Amino acid sequence: MITAYLKRAYSSFAAHVFDVPPRLLAFLLFVLHLVLPVAKPDPFIQLTVFDIFFLAAFAASWDLLVGRSGQISLGHALFFGIGGYTTGILSVNLGLAPWITIPLAVLVGVSASLLIGLPCSRVKGPYLALVTMALPLILVQLFKLDLLLPITGGEAGVGILLPIIPSAFFRMLGFGSRDAIRAVALATYYFALFLVFAASVILYKIANSKTGMVFVSILDDELASKACGINVTRYKLMALAISSLFAALIGAIRGHFATIVSPGRFLDLTVSFAPVMVAFLGGIGTIYGPLIGAYIYYTLDRFVLQKMTQIPFLAFTDWEHVRFLIFAVIVIVLVIKWPRGIARFVTDKLHDLEEARDLDERGKWIWKTYKKRKKKE
Amino acid sequence: MLIENILINGAILGGLYALLAFGFTLIYGVSGVVNLAHGAFFMIGAFIFSALGPFLLSILGPLGVTSTVIPLLALILAAIFVGIAGSIVYRLTIHPILGDEVAIMVVTISVALIIQQLVLIGFGFSAPVTPFVSGSIKIIGVSVTYMKILAFVLSLGLFVGLWAFINYSKIGAAMRAVSQDHEVAMLMGVNTETLYMLTMAISTAFATLAGVFFTSALLAGQAVPHMWLEPLWASFAIVVLGGLGSIKGTLVGAFIIAYVEHLVAAVFVSQGGVIVRAIPIATMVLILLVRPKGLFGKRIEME
Repeated sequence: MITAYLKRAYSSFAAHVFDVPPRLLAFLLFVLHLVLPVAKPDPFIQLTVFDIFFLAAFAASWDLLVGRSGQISLGHALFFGIGGYTTGILSVNLGLAPWITIPLAVLVGVSASLLIGLPCSRVKGPYLALVTMALPLILVQLFKLDLLLPITGGEAGVGILLPIIPSAFFRMLGFGSRDAIRAVALATYYFALFLVFAASVILYKIANSKTGMVFVSILDDELASKACGINVTRYKLMALAISSLFAALIGAIRGHFATIVSPGRFLDLTVSFAPVMVAFLGGIGTIYGPLIGAYIYYTLDRFVLQKMTQIPFLAFTDWEHVRFLIFAVIVIVLVIKWPRGIARFVTDKLHDLEEARDLDERGKWIWKTYKKRKKKE
Repeated sequence: MLIENILINGAILGGLYALLAFGFTLIYGVSGVVNLAHGAFFMIGAFIFSALGPFLLSILGPLGVTSTVIPLLALILAAIFVGIAGSIVYRLTIHPILGDEVAIMVVTISVALIIQQLVLIGFGFSAPVTPFVSGSIKIIGVSVTYMKILAFVLSLGLFVGLWAFINYSKIGAAMRAVSQDHEVAMLMGVNTETLYMLTMAISTAFATLAGVFFTSALLAGQAVPHMWLEPLWASFAIVVLGGLGSIKGTLVGAFIIAYVEHLVAAVFVSQGGVIVRAIPIATMVLILLVRPKGLFGKRIEME
């Protein structure tokens, strides 16, 4: 009697825990981040989480393009860099305020995506991947031309951009200079938090809307979607435009926080590959997966591998190289082990569990009815 | 003078590019893998060659082997060594995720970074790759070093040799069969797993040869750990230009890219040399937009 009751209670509890609505989970995550600076006022952790946010949002925009609409892009740094460079050039050379330059940067990013997307929609699969991978590298070489050197600054980049949240504002409110710096750090953190959650929620909503379903149908079978009367080129361009909008926005804001926009940090191959790796670690095609991936990436980078340098036995001279190497090995192992990412792995496991439970219950029911029938006979 | 210069140097660069891109197109044509670590094998090959030279000299020198044979021996040994390493890398990292294009790209670029870091740790920031032969000759008014001529002849010879191997040997027939339909090839008794590993070994061995020729003939005899990205761009520009998986296209694409590169360098000489690096990719993008599958593009074409 009691054991049966306990069993039923457990199964009801498990059903509730395993079926937590995604909304509640997202809300909990948001609240957790909201109280983090209050609960643990460590500037290092704050800075790391700030970086995680930017990478996660950037990777989410990549995920909408690749994971949902199936256009393999390995050069997402192009839009990120265009965003950063546009706002940088405008605000340094013309002295415009960030609230004008950032929308302009987004506009330039989206128009660049349409300009590129129209010819690129003819190219497919690995060809598209290789073309998109090449584009930011071409842009870097263009920026290094002597002709454009006074505007773009070549290797050194464009500097110094105005901050979005000026410390003068807090000093005006009556903060001391040291308090003002801390207030700026906190405000920056919350700004990034709201930005990233807004961007992620919008991207998630788009991915799960009717338009998003059209994207997935193109990913699954382009010919069949064409036969269903879908204008494939239009939807592909739409996916690229939405994705580049967020990438350019995040690039522009990142540029203002970094204060210098340089090719090494905005148009490099590593910038293109960071969202790919993060999305792969987190779960491709899920939009929220990159946040998990970004957490893994930065936790490994900042907390595990950097802490390992402090162990005396391991602290030999070319540790920087070894750290890089270990990270690459970890990425390879994770990608081979879970090719669909950790988020997908967990959701698949939960799905399997649910199915197994259903099967179990059904099996028990069949067994019971079978036994009853036998008794009657 | 200028035109002759472009003609001769473009031809030499084209021959070396053809050798470099052959491995890239071969592994794509047979197994469908876009191997972004190709440039890294090119780089590590040059480093291993530079380490093997003095080593072999110290062993074989006292036995009376002349110093002209040693570079060739080192070249062959380096190619074999990197070929074995390449097939092991293939078995460990690429084989488990075969068929997933994006995952393969992520994994192979990670492999390239690992190789770069290993070279930085093991060999340091640069290694000398001395030319096998010294001296130079004047061909229609352009002075060309003997090393360049040797590299050109050897790379074209190797290209033709591999082409013949693929077209006329039994293993080559198996490769063509697998590239056409790997399931049917399996049913006909081809061990695809071994064949993929062999293809990867050939591909990386050719990357090594190209790396040694490049550094000794063109890059002032210095190998650096960061030199994997540019050959990678060049080789995928060539391969995509000619059509992924097409050998004829690779040869044509290599010469197109080489000549365009030299032409643009001659025109933009006042703008500084950096623009040359973007040329292979820019040419590739332009041609792809006109012909989305490259010049000779088909998934399966090994003639």
